[in-house]
Amino acid sequence: MEYRLDRNVHSLLDPRTKLLLLFTSSVFVVGNAGEKWMYVFYWILVYLPVLLLLAEKEWKAAAVAVAIYVGSFYAQMALQHDPTAWESALALMLYIITKILPTVILARYIVKTTKVSEFLAAMNRMHVTDKLTIPISVIFRFFPTVAEESRAINDAMRMRGIEMGAKKATEAVEYRMVPLIASCSIIGEELSAAAMTRGLDVGKKRSCIWKIRFRFPDLIIIVLCLTCFVWWGIGRFFI
Amino acid sequence: MICFDNVSFQYTKDQESLKGISLTIGEGDVVLVCGPSGCGKSTLIRCVNGLIPHFYEGNLTGSVTVNGTDVSQTTLRKISRHVGTVFQNPRSQFFNVDTTSELAFGCENFGLDPDEIEQRIDRVVNRHGLAPLMDRSIFRLSGGEKQKIACASIAVEPLDVIILDEPSANLDYQGICELQKMIGAWKEEHKTILIAEHRISYLFPYISRALLMNSGEIVKEYSADEFRALSEDELHGLGLRADHMQDSAEVIPDNGERRDTDEKLILSDMKFSYRGEEPVFDIPRMEIPAGEIVGIVGANGAGKSTFLRCLCGMERSCKATLKAGDEIRKNKKRRQSIYMVMQDVNHQLFTDSVLEEVMISQEKEDKEEALKILESLDLAEYADKHPLALSGGQKQRVAVASAVASGRDIILFDEPTSGLDYYHMMQVSEILKDLRKTGRTVIIVTHDVELIRNACTCVIPFK
Repeated sequence: MEYRLDRNVHSLLDPRTKLLLLFTSSVFVVGNAGEKWMYVFYWILVYLPVLLLLAEKEWKAAAVAVAIYVGSFYAQMALQHDPTAWESALALMLYIITKILPTVILARYIVKTTKVSEFLAAMNRMHVTDKLTIPISVIFRFFPTVAEESRAINDAMRMRGIEMGAKKATEAVEYRMVPLIASCSIIGEELSAAAMTRGLDVGKKRSCIWKIRFRFPDLIIIVLCLTCFVWWGIGRFFI
Repeated sequence: MICFDNVSFQYTKDQESLKGISLTIGEGDVVLVCGPSGCGKSTLIRCVNGLIPHFYEGNLTGSVTVNGTDVSQTTLRKISRHVGTVFQNPRSQFFNVDTTSELAFGCENFGLDPDEIEQRIDRVVNRHGLAPLMDRSIFRLSGGEKQKIACASIAVEPLDVIILDEPSANLDYQGICELQKMIGAWKEEHKTILIAEHRISYLFPYISRALLMNSGEIVKEYSADEFRALSEDELHGLGLRADHMQDSAEVIPDNGERRDTDEKLILSDMKFSYRGEEPVFDIPRMEIPAGEIVGIVGANGAGKSTFLRCLCGMERSCKATLKAGDEIRKNKKRRQSIYMVMQDVNHQLFTDSVLEEVMISQEKEDKEEALKILESLDLAEYADKHPLALSGGQKQRVAVASAVASGRDIILFDEPTSGLDYYHMMQVSEILKDLRKTGRTVIIVTHDVELIRNACTCVIPFK
């Protein structure tokens, strides 16, 4: 059967929309801007990343995310009645988790569903300089690379009998970091050499095979994000 | 056309270098550059694709011109419009995460029209039967599949010069056949091709000449016919691999050493699948001759490396029983009695000195014993060095040293000779034989026909 490249393949959202959503989520969920005034939007932004996971058919990740969130949320509430010093420290930690988790999930979703090529093109359309976008685009490769390397090192440690709780437990952390850093830096160097021999350079016009444009789901998210900022502005400056 | 005019190069760090190279490669030529490890092949290649002097720093004299342009006077970007490179390490040559974008990457960087890129990709994918590899994450591809994508992404670009740096290092027989076809197609399109390689027989049909390098100089130039006429011993004498194109499953080991016992390790009920996928393999019963050097052979992607990982207990979800004599080794016991030397040894060297690396493997730390082991592997002088500062072969020997120190009686090797020249391959082969003499069972997964012939005492085909 003959292969035909389908250039219309795209994820649910445009890369630009994803970044706007990430920014909005950082401001209102992590930053907690507007507090009580933003109540409704706050909860929308907390659960929206889960909906995005469901749209990607990541059932398990979605279930785990909700479980961790709900678990830490109620545990943290329960711990606030008359806590000991330890309990309040724990409550604080859980509270931080509830603040950061939704945005972390969103960031992971973005890294997983955005093609490097799409990202470069989208940034270019927003006239963001290459000096910024090219280094950032490496993140898409960097996370899976680190995960892959660290899995291999972990396996090797287990095989050699160096594990948490086994002999040399204290050194286990150091043993892991040294080869990880060494191998990631070698990969990084070879990767930049390879990319440069294929013509990647700053300040030069690139094309992109993927069709990047705003579609209907983008509209919903953009309207949501803008409404957040407008509503916050109303509360902040007019009331 | 590529022209070297009295080119010398010295890295700032003391490494291999080039001395007074003069060379002309005409349009449409296919030139093989060969020689033992560290002879300067890779450096020569980097002078053509512009990584020297634009990426790797050092002291360059003389001039290299490609299509009449002086490489050092232009930019990497301009060179890359004409020259494409397939690198040795398939893990680090992709900028994208999905394969389709990777094929488009070079063309996109030059701002080619997307419709034209689409046509180019379709043509390459159909011509080389790559459809099953499209729209995949490169993190889910095997080494051989990655190398195919690397070649294809070069084929998509409109280039005149193609450079290959040991492209066969990670490929099995089938993979080499496909690489061969790709090179054939490029030759038909009249592209200039420069290949650095130890394994050479697969290139015989295409080369127009061969250059032999040693310590940074071109010591001899062969015409294609002269080169093809070299005997196996002559090739070995030059540090080159002489394996004929042959399926590793059909090789008959010829180690010359026979054994007197008939003991067997019996592996039973081994089954493995990645979460939610079809099983990779299902082995009800497998007999492995004990105290032998056993080669496990089979095509890329058959699951051989996964088999080793399961055997030594790295894949925790894989349960199996190994019976050695009367002793039954279940999962945990198996993990404690089998040591694996990984393909990328960098992943298994953790400490800051070679001696310590050996000592943490010992049941009870014993410095004298550790030094003895290092001595036996020619590593005594490196005892205080940082393992990651050693050469590839030395690192591998450190891993073997710690395997010996661990006292485990079964040692696994995953592709111990990929990318090695003849001398280094023979060195590995000697180490394997020495391990066998100590009564250990050695199991290797390999595509290396010459290693199987020299070192193995028996072969188990893996379907």
